[in-house]
Amino acid sequence: MRLFWPETEDWRQAVVDLQQKETLTPFHSAVLSFIQSLSMRLVRMRDYPEVVALGYWLRKAHIHQMREAWLEETKNRFVKSRGTVFHLAPSNVDTIFIYSWMLSLLAGNRNIIRVSGKEKLQTNALLSAIIDVLQDAAHTMIAERTIILTYDHDEQVTAFLSGECHTRVIWGGDDTVNAIRRIPLAPLANELTFPDRFSLAVLNAEAVVHASPEEKELLLQHFYNDSFWFDQMACSSPRLVVWTGPNEIIEMAQTAFWSLFDQVIRAKKADLMSAIQVQKLATGLALATDVQANAFKHGTTFSRIAFEHIPADIRERHCGGGLFFECKANGLPEVSTMMVDKDQTLSYFGFSKEELVEFVEMIPTRGIDRIVPVGQALDFNGVWDGQSFLQSFTREVVIL
Amino acid sequence: MMYPYDLAKQEKEQFLIQQLNDVTLHHLECCSDYHAMIEKSGGVIQTQSLNELPFLPVQLFKMMDLLSVPREEVVKVLTSSGTTGQQVSKIYLDQETAASQTRALVEVMKPVLGRQRLPMIILDTKSVLKDRNSFSARGAGILGFSNFGRKHFYALNDDMTVDWDGLHRYLKEHLGTTIILFGFTFMVWKYFYQEAVKNNIQLKIGESVLIHGGGWKKLQDEAVDADIFKRELKKQFGIQRVHNYYGMVEQVGSIFVECEQGHLHTPNYADVLIRDAITFEPLANGEQGLIQVMSVLPKSYPGHSLLTEDLGTILGEDDCPCGWMGKYFSVAGRIPKAELRGCSDTFAYDRKGANG
Repeated sequence: MRLFWPETEDWRQAVVDLQQKETLTPFHSAVLSFIQSLSMRLVRMRDYPEVVALGYWLRKAHIHQMREAWLEETKNRFVKSRGTVFHLAPSNVDTIFIYSWMLSLLAGNRNIIRVSGKEKLQTNALLSAIIDVLQDAAHTMIAERTIILTYDHDEQVTAFLSGECHTRVIWGGDDTVNAIRRIPLAPLANELTFPDRFSLAVLNAEAVVHASPEEKELLLQHFYNDSFWFDQMACSSPRLVVWTGPNEIIEMAQTAFWSLFDQVIRAKKADLMSAIQVQKLATGLALATDVQANAFKHGTTFSRIAFEHIPADIRERHCGGGLFFECKANGLPEVSTMMVDKDQTLSYFGFSKEELVEFVEMIPTRGIDRIVPVGQALDFNGVWDGQSFLQSFTREVVIL
Repeated sequence: MMYPYDLAKQEKEQFLIQQLNDVTLHHLECCSDYHAMIEKSGGVIQTQSLNELPFLPVQLFKMMDLLSVPREEVVKVLTSSGTTGQQVSKIYLDQETAASQTRALVEVMKPVLGRQRLPMIILDTKSVLKDRNSFSARGAGILGFSNFGRKHFYALNDDMTVDWDGLHRYLKEHLGTTIILFGFTFMVWKYFYQEAVKNNIQLKIGESVLIHGGGWKKLQDEAVDADIFKRELKKQFGIQRVHNYYGMVEQVGSIFVECEQGHLHTPNYADVLIRDAITFEPLANGEQGLIQVMSVLPKSYPGHSLLTEDLGTILGEDDCPCGWMGKYFSVAGRIPKAELRGCSDTFAYDRKGANG
């Protein structure tokens, strides 16, 4: 057990102290000022584009917008924070759990955050920036309501914290979610889980072919960010590309798209790792043995596997790092039949809002929680995996 | 000239291209998965140059079972050593491939060990040989190499302590005879050498040759290289000749043993190629990259051309001062594991002890 915040060794006492602090009202001024300080720190961390994006999301104007929307939504209703929220973050301090922590803060909650045991303050720029801001005397109110800790796989600690909290948030893979779900939660608490998801891009071949060179360049830049910022390992990074349109147009679009993509990646001079290159080759060859696989093309910057139909289990067999599954469809109605429960984000190019709304209505499964233009796949939103954070982090008191 | 290190470049290349092309055809015909991989990835089926021979990453054998014979013809299954939680490779051998493996091992070692079967000390425990049908890399190695000796003495007890009394008795009994020692690099160092140092035990094993393999990864962490290894073993035990070998369970026949110059050599029926670690393009001699190994022997599974995860350098061809022909090379170690970021499956519950 190691505490990053507060600066004490006695974590049980820290929990007792935290629980004695009263909760705050939603969008409390102390929270807004803390978030603003944090935002200013994060936007300066230029080496980490995803941290800058987080800082930008937390900027004053955006939070203000959220506050306005919140006030509008809760007009004439009485909504309070839930109490204490226990966050189990994924192992590499990813920015995504900071979003859920910030939303819990905005709701007025006390927060206990378990980060991965691998993290060290010296080496984790994001974590040390957060601790820095917490140390600022101006933010005592937030500091007193925050615990950041880490511990090894220890069911007793998780059980203790689960018994203390009013909401539990689990980020992690399916196995993590299943393992933690077996640990009882305080009877009154609710739970948000973020298990494994799969994401895809749907490209209108006609639109790609007819795009101007500038539009194509922008599309590929966006597609690069979506897929490579997190080495294709974020749940919303596209791993499958579905092309719609007549066959010959699709082939033209593919040639243009992938050759430009290769140039874009090369221009970024990103560090490629040998182990990932080998992993992509091995995964691609293994998948090529599937009867639905038509062709496997291993390249230095990325690899592609063409499928006749997307096999059901294929989503579990992706290795990240720039491996793209591909298939063809006549149009969005056919795409809708491919969607399974696990599918989360669909990023698109060349479709109208009406077409997309129609598409959503046609999906017969639980699949698809976000539909965004290519380039916004990784953008965080207060509604994630179909659930609104602010709603889950608050409760409404009925007064008649 | 010394068989099986007696084919010069041109002759050897011709022989290998023809043989390997035949083996490729055999696997295409007999292993439908291999067929799908090569066909769908556009692999060259009949090549004019070794550079173009299609290769499979060694990892694939961890991901799936690949066989070119019916399962009922499998007589032996080899598994790679892996740390707990890791998937291991499974290599299926039929009678023919198992026999050529044994024969190849004898042939590549003969120039080092001679014809005679000598008393042999195995620096390991006897218990790794428990299951005779399914062998770990350690078990397979011991069993293969034990053919070179007689009156085998296993120097380690089941709890990995050294049977010093037994060892002393054995050495006394064979005083004046050349002795072969065999063990895995790390185990020789940790359980034999370091124990001896700790307990202040020095031996004079005398006329003796140690054969060891299995990789330097763990010793690199302790900053022990081949020179230190040789020097220390000589100092502590009086072992005169130390030969490292490089090989992997995934490719039978590819046992590359060090000559007297300390260079790993390719025998007639196997070869290595170095590829760029990122682009997989072939590299020139002297450049470091991923090692691709080729062997004409694997018939029961499609493992005749494999891309390893080891980095190495070809030092030369046909011109090693030891007089053996063929390419000779050195191995620098394993490429670093990939750790991709992301939001799924990254919590300690999932990954405990299985990072990569």
